Amino acid sequence: MKRIRLTPLFFRRIHKWVGLILGLQFLLWALSGSVMALLDKDKVGGHDAGVSHAHALPEGEYFDVAALPRGDKVTGLLLRDLGARPVYELSTSKGTRLVDAISGEDIRVDDEMARNVAAMMNEAPIRKVSLLAKPNLESRDHAGAMWRIDFRDGENSSAYVSLDTARFLVMRGDTWRTWDFFWMLHNMDYVNRKSFNHPLIIFVAFGVLWLSGTGFYLLFKSFSRTDFRWLRRRRKTVTQTALEN
Amino acid sequence: MPVSGQRSKVIVMAIRWPLLVRRTHKWLALLVGVQALLWTLTGLYMVVVHIDTIHGDHLVRAPVVEPFDLSGGLAPPSRIVAAASGASEIRLQRLFDRTVWRAETPDGPQLFDARSGVLLPALTAPQIREQARRIYTGDGKIVSVRLLTSAPQEMQSRKPPYWQVEFAGWNRPTLYLSPTTGELVSRRHALWRVFDFAWMLHIMDYDERTDVNNTLLRVATWSTFAMSLMGAWLLFWSFKRRKRKTA
Repeated sequence: MKRIRLTPLFFRRIHKWVGLILGLQFLLWALSGSVMALLDKDKVGGHDAGVSHAHALPEGEYFDVAALPRGDKVTGLLLRDLGARPVYELSTSKGTRLVDAISGEDIRVDDEMARNVAAMMNEAPIRKVSLLAKPNLESRDHAGAMWRIDFRDGENSSAYVSLDTARFLVMRGDTWRTWDFFWMLHNMDYVNRKSFNHPLIIFVAFGVLWLSGTGFYLLFKSFSRTDFRWLRRRRKTVTQTALEN
Repeated sequence: MPVSGQRSKVIVMAIRWPLLVRRTHKWLALLVGVQALLWTLTGLYMVVVHIDTIHGDHLVRAPVVEPFDLSGGLAPPSRIVAAASGASEIRLQRLFDRTVWRAETPDGPQLFDARSGVLLPALTAPQIREQARRIYTGDGKIVSVRLLTSAPQEMQSRKPPYWQVEFAGWNRPTLYLSPTTGELVSRRHALWRVFDFAWMLHIMDYDERTDVNNTLLRVATWSTFAMSLMGAWLLFWSFKRRKRKTA
């Protein structure tokens, strides 16, 4: 068996072979990283859905909370403002119930209410409203059934509104969609686009470290004094002209 | 003769394509080499250590869900809304074993006793200690408890004030608690801090660590893309040449 000698040639070979096997992913990482750096992060948005237009609750009488449970075990209760009408959001063992906080009537989040909630986040005309039984790729950070409201604007924006609570969940536009495609290329989770801690990416990242590691080492072996001659030559001409003057 | 001289120059350049690409690959690598190495190193760290670990999910206990008794004796929401001016949301929750109304106001969250409706004072240092003990899953001792009015580097994204409770341990777990409600604002530990540093190196924003659109990053990423594209092109050349040599 030939003994492995740690010569520059040996590292050059590693660089070449790792480049052959995993180089495509390095290329895709560089490309997707470049595109994500280029896309304006404010237009991509979507990272902070917590910002919503919260109105102050009106003072006055509210429906008696003691009448809310109707025999269910209550694990959570909150009172909030839903587009100028106060509502109770009641979490029970049977799920979440939305109740009008003045009349005590149950509220069903229909498409009109979903429209109104979405319209608070985007003034463009609404193109389409559809009901999703479970989240799609765009609303994957949220759970449960939800309304999707599509707008007629430059970004082709879509708002997602929870079916249970009428809460605005997230807004997605074309810039985000482009970003998300390249984010998928970056995190290599081609199905869910979400995880960057899976075995495939760990394996490739470890391999590519050899590509960049050997590449970095080879920098020291690939450059010689002659490569930098132009620097010295320029300096010389500069001093010469200085002398001539 | 100028015409034939021009032509021979063109021929020479056509023959030297691989050399030109190799040189550009080399010079671009000189420009971005350190950063490319940092990208792969920090990238490896970020994919190896699971994001849930980074977030410190293992450091804190999920709150126990115990049903609330609404049957009577609760201060009505109207009283809380009147007391907490400008509140946009009020909710039932627990502080230690006591039921409280929590109001979200423009000045931050406030707690009211759920039965009397009386505004509760801010938590004291011993109460914060006890609350941190209840939340923290480890058994390390509390090293320090401080009320911060300006955000430390690791809490740039959260608005102070908050209590900083630091625990003993190799990873220096630190909980940040709200002074008015005792709720967990965030948690930090050594692996998070390394991740944050790695992220800074990854996106090349050395000040705020949040701007993924900075010019330095854009120049570096596209240069690296060009470098790797040329590297890919050189692969064909390198392997072809070797084959010829061995044959």
